[in-house]
Amino acid sequence: MADQFDLECRNVGKNFDRFVAVDNVSLTIPKGSFFSILGPSGCGKTTLLRMLAGFQEPTSGDILIKGKSVLGVPPNRRPVNMVFQHLALFPMMNVADNVAYGLRRRGVDKATINRKVAETLARVGLPDSGPKQISQLSGGQKQRIAIARCLVLEPAVLLLDEPLGALDLKLREHMKVELKQLQHEIGTTFVYITHDQSEALVMSDQVAVMNAGKFEQVGTPQDLYYNPQTAFVASFVGESNRWRGTVGETTGDYVAINLDKGGVILADKAAHASLPTGQDVEIFVRPEAIAIGRSDAAPDPVPGNNSLTGTVENVLFNGAASSVQIRETATGHEMSVALPQTGAFANLRAGDVINLAWHASQTRCFAGVLPSGIEGGQS
Amino acid sequence: MAHSTRPMTDWRKAKLPVFAFLAPATIIYTVFMIYPLLDSIRLSFYTSVSGGDLTFVGLDNYRTILGDPGWSATFWNAFWNNMKFFAVHMLVQNPIGIALAAVLSLPQLKLRNTYRTLIFMPTMLSVVVVGFIWQLILSPVWGVGPEILDIFGLKSLFGPWLGKEGSALITLALISVWQWVGIPMMLIYAALLAIPEDLVDAAVVDGASHFEVFLHIKLPLVLPTIAMVSILTFVSNFNAFDLIYSVKGALAGPNFSTDIMGTLFYRTFFGYQLQLGSPTLGATVASLMFIIILVGVLFYLFVVQRRLSRYQL
Repeated sequence: MADQFDLECRNVGKNFDRFVAVDNVSLTIPKGSFFSILGPSGCGKTTLLRMLAGFQEPTSGDILIKGKSVLGVPPNRRPVNMVFQHLALFPMMNVADNVAYGLRRRGVDKATINRKVAETLARVGLPDSGPKQISQLSGGQKQRIAIARCLVLEPAVLLLDEPLGALDLKLREHMKVELKQLQHEIGTTFVYITHDQSEALVMSDQVAVMNAGKFEQVGTPQDLYYNPQTAFVASFVGESNRWRGTVGETTGDYVAINLDKGGVILADKAAHASLPTGQDVEIFVRPEAIAIGRSDAAPDPVPGNNSLTGTVENVLFNGAASSVQIRETATGHEMSVALPQTGAFANLRAGDVINLAWHASQTRCFAGVLPSGIEGGQS
Repeated sequence: MAHSTRPMTDWRKAKLPVFAFLAPATIIYTVFMIYPLLDSIRLSFYTSVSGGDLTFVGLDNYRTILGDPGWSATFWNAFWNNMKFFAVHMLVQNPIGIALAAVLSLPQLKLRNTYRTLIFMPTMLSVVVVGFIWQLILSPVWGVGPEILDIFGLKSLFGPWLGKEGSALITLALISVWQWVGIPMMLIYAALLAIPEDLVDAAVVDGASHFEVFLHIKLPLVLPTIAMVSILTFVSNFNAFDLIYSVKGALAGPNFSTDIMGTLFYRTFFGYQLQLGSPTLGATVASLMFIIILVGVLFYLFVVQRRLSRYQL
């Protein structure tokens, strides 16, 4: 059933001379969902978005909106609209004229324009802002007007190109929630481009993680976070402790991974059955998966548990998101561990020696070695 | 706050460097701009009686130029000719400059730099060369103008434009436009480049055509630049002299029909052919030119510029 998808890409590719910006990307976005494309800068996500908007034509593949191919259709004739990175509100027009601009170009009569503009401004929660100048609006209000300007044309799909990028941190946090709420209320399909994983995770129904022109994984935010399919996704989405090692021998349900710097980490055998012995792997463990304990209180010996000791180097207190940097005693590897929110470790100090433990099921290994320099997006 | 009782900068100590840094510009500007300006205004209040001694006569020179029937007819003729000269630039040079800039800034244009250089080239030529070239082209006796028009079958339209009272001034103004159109084009082109792509894309998504994007989005954003170009045009037009002198000489013929403030000043100050020059009357014409330009610039600064909105992009 193609028509239940608002937007569909079939093997879309885009080359600039010999550089492949988008490589054989396929996606389907169901009606009314919030879909994010998450990737580092230069991964091709903006090129993909500009192809959806119609500013660029794909080199290969097909783009369908509401089941109809839009190849060769100019931007203004596609049932999509776009919120730009810097919002691109017209500074020489007031708010109402900004929102009305698209309707005027379509030759809609004046009474209808006025009615639709008033309706749309009410929908984004700024009913009285019509006569205001753009310079009189706050950052968050500009955001909403930019969305209103798109919604007034009743697009099937709204494309958003990192619209929160220009806002300060506090407002960005606030707008994340507000955007999700707004999308929920109006029910238009949103395609949201970002390099900020927290934006993608918080707002989206589905996230596609993009790297070097390809989709690495498409799934719900929970899927990406807890079941990353590639090393890139594991490193890009959320924080992780990383090691390099080789696959060692199997004991029972667990497989031992020998770290390059010495030491052994256990992982679930079932989850890593495809990795042959001797394979080079990248190992990822989430900071919050690691339990900590005082050195005087030894952890219970649970089968399959990894247990290490380490010295506290820094306590990074940040309320509920506090963490602690630890240097592992045996290998000298630096690790980051989330502090429990109970306040039980409020008096932890640099130099303290603590126990670390996590279950083998929390260890994720991926074949091959990633080029260094790709780190998780900062939240 | 330990420093709250003292001023942040101790001006007694700061004085020396402040004056040291201001001095070069102040001295050069004073010696070469302010003093000559004030002295030429002072000169306009004197007259030289036989023998070369200067006598103070107050506003008599201004009364002569604006009141004496012969002088005032010459002065106002030059003034209105100058206004026509300016009007042709405003109506032809600046719209063409804007249009060329708009075309140059189209993303799909090929050979952009070639066009830009070619259009800007005449600006770098000497005015004397330009005047001479056009005199040769437009000469009804040996000029190539009629032949060029003949290619398009328009030879019958050709006339001795530079020699006719009715068309000489406009022809000269158009020659000047041909030479200088690169300047407004470059300034407006630079302003157009500063407009974010996003704004144009947003208008395109909303369904605006190229022309509508230009009219609704780009033009309002470059209006301050266009106003600046206009005032620069005004100042340079009212100071113009060289092109007319090189094509028509200081008599600005035929029958003074191409006489503008600059040529009038030249004849008055230095004299020409049988006419004797008068430095004091010349200084009076120069002061009147200064006043005209000052009024124009003040109008721009206090009326035009204040009403133009500049937008944060």
